Amino acid sequence: MILVDDLLFRPLVSIADVLHSLAVDEMYDVEGVQDELKETHLLYEIGELSHEEYERKKATLEERLEIAEDAHERLRSGKVEVKR
Amino acid sequence: MSSNRYVYGVVEKADFEFDADAVAGADRVYTVDYRSLSAVVSDIDTTDPERTDEDSKAHDEVLRQVLEHDDVGAVVPMQFGMAFKDNRTLKSVLRSAMRAFRKALREVDGHVELGVKLVADEDADYSRDSIREDVGERLSALAESETEDDLFSDRLVLNRSYLVAMDDREAFDDVVADVREEYDDLTVQYTGPWAPYNFVDIHIGAQR
Repeated sequence: MILVDDLLFRPLVSIADVLHSLAVDEMYDVEGVQDELKETHLLYEIGELSHEEYERKKATLEERLEIAEDAHERLRSGKVEVKR
Repeated sequence: MSSNRYVYGVVEKADFEFDADAVAGADRVYTVDYRSLSAVVSDIDTTDPERTDEDSKAHDEVLRQVLEHDDVGAVVPMQFGMAFKDNRTLKSVLRSAMRAFRKALREVDGHVELGVKLVADEDADYSRDSIREDVGERLSALAESETEDDLFSDRLVLNRSYLVAMDDREAFDDVVADVREEYDDLTVQYTGPWAPYNFVDIHIGAQR
């Protein structure tokens, strides 16, 4: 949670920066994708997905996970440019 | 032959070897001793193996075979990926974590880990809370310890690992069979016996 106090004491963090961080969290939900990967594996194990479906879904999710992790990495490194 | 050692787990000193579909294509599993401990290993070309589905499964299967071995009362499992550059490095790790390994071996002696997942069928009509309470209570009664649920999917009703004494294994199997019969709308995924991954906590440093 972001408190207003927090923002007041950190004048260098602009509202745009904060909104941008929240958007990155929302768009690149690492944990959510990891859960989807685990769910896909489970459904394959209990026989609801064929091997081909499993491999296809897994590949897509792994790609999304890589992009999400990369986005967070760049955000943390402070190299993300916030457009206004 | 590669001199790197991939470690599956640690047991009380034992001398065995067997053929297996091991990690990274290895086909032989054997023990390397350090004083009263033995590491269960296979030979591998790298110290940083990639975690594939196939190799994760191979890791678990080797541990399961170790558990079934007559000379083995307990195994402290390693997480996937612990490989050391030679026997000397491996032994120095065993030396430095000797006390922790001995304690963990005592704690899990005579126990196995069993996994239970209850997955609701698509469009199932059920009460998650009442099933969790009912099944959770019945399984807990026979277990020494259990993990918290990891409900990574909306369809998971329960997802726990249990540490069960070998003597209670049959009774535990029976409860799982009853649950399978009683709840039509659920798929029960019952796995194990596994080495007790979730009930020992030994972290080996990065010095490989």
